[in-house]
Amino acid sequence: MLWTVDPASDEPLYAQLVTQARLAVTRGDLTPGERLPAARELATSLDLNVHTVLRAYQQLRDEGLVDLRRSRGAVVTGTPADLTAVEEALARFVAAARQARLSPEATTTLLQEELKR
Amino acid sequence: MNAHHDSPAPTWRRRARRSTLWSTLVGLGLTGAAAAVVWSWRDQLPDQVATHWGAGGVPDDTMSVTGMIVVATATTVGLLILFAAIGLAWGSSASTRRTTAAAAVWSGALGASLLLVTAGFQRGSDTPDTATLPGWALAVVLLAPLVPAGVAAFLVPGDPHQPAEEPVDPAAPRATLSDSERAVWIRRVTGGPGVWIGVVAVAGIVLMSLLTQLWVMLVLAAAMAALFAAMFAFVVQVDSAGLVARSALGWPRARIPADEVLSASVIQVNPLGDFGGWGWRVGFQGGRVGIVLRSGEALLVERSGGRGFVVTVDGAAEAAALLNTMADRARSDAAS
Repeated sequence: MLWTVDPASDEPLYAQLVTQARLAVTRGDLTPGERLPAARELATSLDLNVHTVLRAYQQLRDEGLVDLRRSRGAVVTGTPADLTAVEEALARFVAAARQARLSPEATTTLLQEELKR
Repeated sequence: MNAHHDSPAPTWRRRARRSTLWSTLVGLGLTGAAAAVVWSWRDQLPDQVATHWGAGGVPDDTMSVTGMIVVATATTVGLLILFAAIGLAWGSSASTRRTTAAAAVWSGALGASLLLVTAGFQRGSDTPDTATLPGWALAVVLLAPLVPAGVAAFLVPGDPHQPAEEPVDPAAPRATLSDSERAVWIRRVTGGPGVWIGVVAVAGIVLMSLLTQLWVMLVLAAAMAALFAAMFAFVVQVDSAGLVARSALGWPRARIPADEVLSASVIQVNPLGDFGGWGWRVGFQGGRVGIVLRSGEALLVERSGGRGFVVTVDGAAEAAALLNTMADRARSDAAS
């Protein structure tokens, strides 16, 4: 698959990698059992610090998309959950918060309160 | 091609002539020297020497000493002509010259080891019937020639770095990348019909060694299994450095620096028609080096010095576009 990073973009470099991997899994370009490139190789090819790539892989593991093993590297395990409904609800939530002129901090606090319930 | 520059073709032709000449002479010399040694033994050999052995190492075919020498030498000469023709016609890439030089030396060494081993242990015996073949003899005949062949491969120099003088083909596809964007394309290539041919071949040799109880043939089976394992799983990578196609075992490996790329494109490959089979190949068309695992979509890289490289890989269009873009960048980096 094609991996790209753009240092001129506002999005952090590791997050750019995460987004692409997530998209590739959704599209079926990366299938379960497939191995991601070795972090050091990807870092060399993209002229990145190896920790940037490792951070992306850790994030993908936290999202349940890959399995990280010392011996085999990062292996694609699952397909990402369908987040469409969550994303739509979140967009409505943020729009409502803005209309009520809530500060970002207050909005985040409301969300955290709701998560505790 | 590119007639407006100092033509690159004669450069590789000169290299191909050199490596073909010395490897053919070495091959001929090895078999010739062995033939002379065996001829000097003729008084100590039976009139008819055993030349073929059935199960259990019992001879089942014989020949005169002269006949054996003639057959071994003719076989070697035939192989030398074949490998010289391949090297001279298609030796544009160093890997091809290396392989054909190694094959020529191997042919000569095989002829020599066949003659020496066959005649060697029949010295002093009166009849071929008593000449049973020890088990290790076959292993020596098959494995010993690999040593000088390996040395020959090592002695053939690699291609010098030849940055292209002309820009990348403007009509070739490009990747849509912003100036600051970095990119790498990675894809695995595995399987194809070659795997099944390999499995059948190795299983066949194992079966034969079980039936004939010639256990040294298992060495041959193991060597072939290793060869097939190296040939039928590759990782193809395109980035700012250029293209690398490396076997899953790490070797063999093909590397094309971005500044040697004239044009990358997608072609359709017919393994038998274009390359005569599967695996690491030299193509019938202009000595293109091919990593050919299946038919269909493949990435073609036209390279400086009259060279070409093909690898059968899915998503070749994306790889070709990125490689052309990286080749553009290598040109502008060199200019600035």
